[in-house]
Amino acid sequence: MSTTEQITTISQPGAGSGRDDRLVAGYAALAIAIHILEAAFPSPLPGVKPGLANVITLIVYLRHGLRLALWVAAMRVLVGSLLVGTFLSPTFLLSATGAVAALSALALTGAVGGRRVGPVGLSVVSSLAHMSGQITVAYLLFIPHPALLKLVPVLLSAALLFGTVSGLIAASVLRILGRRAERQP
Amino acid sequence: MADAGSKAGSDNPAPARALIRGGDILILLLAAGLVGASFGAFWGPRSEGHQVLVTVDRNQTTELSLHQDGTFEIEGRIGVSTIMVDGGRVRFMDSPCPGRYCVHSGWLRLSGEVAACLPNGVVVEVLGGEREFDAINL
Repeated sequence: MSTTEQITTISQPGAGSGRDDRLVAGYAALAIAIHILEAAFPSPLPGVKPGLANVITLIVYLRHGLRLALWVAAMRVLVGSLLVGTFLSPTFLLSATGAVAALSALALTGAVGGRRVGPVGLSVVSSLAHMSGQITVAYLLFIPHPALLKLVPVLLSAALLFGTVSGLIAASVLRILGRRAERQP
Repeated sequence: MADAGSKAGSDNPAPARALIRGGDILILLLAAGLVGASFGAFWGPRSEGHQVLVTVDRNQTTELSLHQDGTFEIEGRIGVSTIMVDGGRVRFMDSPCPGRYCVHSGWLRLSGEVAACLPNGVVVEVLGGEREFDAINL
């Protein structure tokens, strides 16, 4: 009996939940790996990073729905912060705020826009929401100084740019995944 | 909501082929407008001033309220500069300098605006915003 089978058997209280658990685990592992790789890269501006881990959240949302995307994002924020060493620090709070804001915006845009909105639009909206949420918390809790507000246009521009790039990456990956699914039905 | 999300992706493979859809372009335009507006909002014009700081010869300073109209004669290094406060704004009316750059600076209204008559050593600066607001009460 292999380990995978054991895990599947153990976590099988309802139909399909075992499959969902494995999907969440796999996607979360990918997102965490990207999260940590990104944390290792130097950033030109404090608080600005590409946020490529959100590509995973976006792909999960579009392929498997909001519930799994929430799980993957929660795992990424929690485990990612444990591994980088920022758990319960201000960085962690900012990271969690960003994730909550981004997912709320993602869910709202997905519900309103439906099929008319693709990965790029969703990514841009969630990226801007991510940044806005973080700025709000940073301003209210950590740096209540007007100078922080002077950074807002720069930070939002970065969010727009990286959101578009992440969205294009997600769209490409989804296109490739879609093709493979067609070939092996 | 979860169903709506999965439908958007998997049930409809044809539009998924296009990297950018119609709604995406709309969102990109709106987002670009929002970011542009944020430049205007956070880097835009400063708030209106409430006081005016008059400095003579670098060390003598007087503060006037921008809300009390009047004409003030300031003794400078080479003569008398005339400053006028009128309805929340201030300007040099006259100054004994050759170029009259200070006079040509016109009305100052926004916090941080400065006009200077360097030959006469008179500098007029608008103060205001919330930081300076409770510092003086004229």
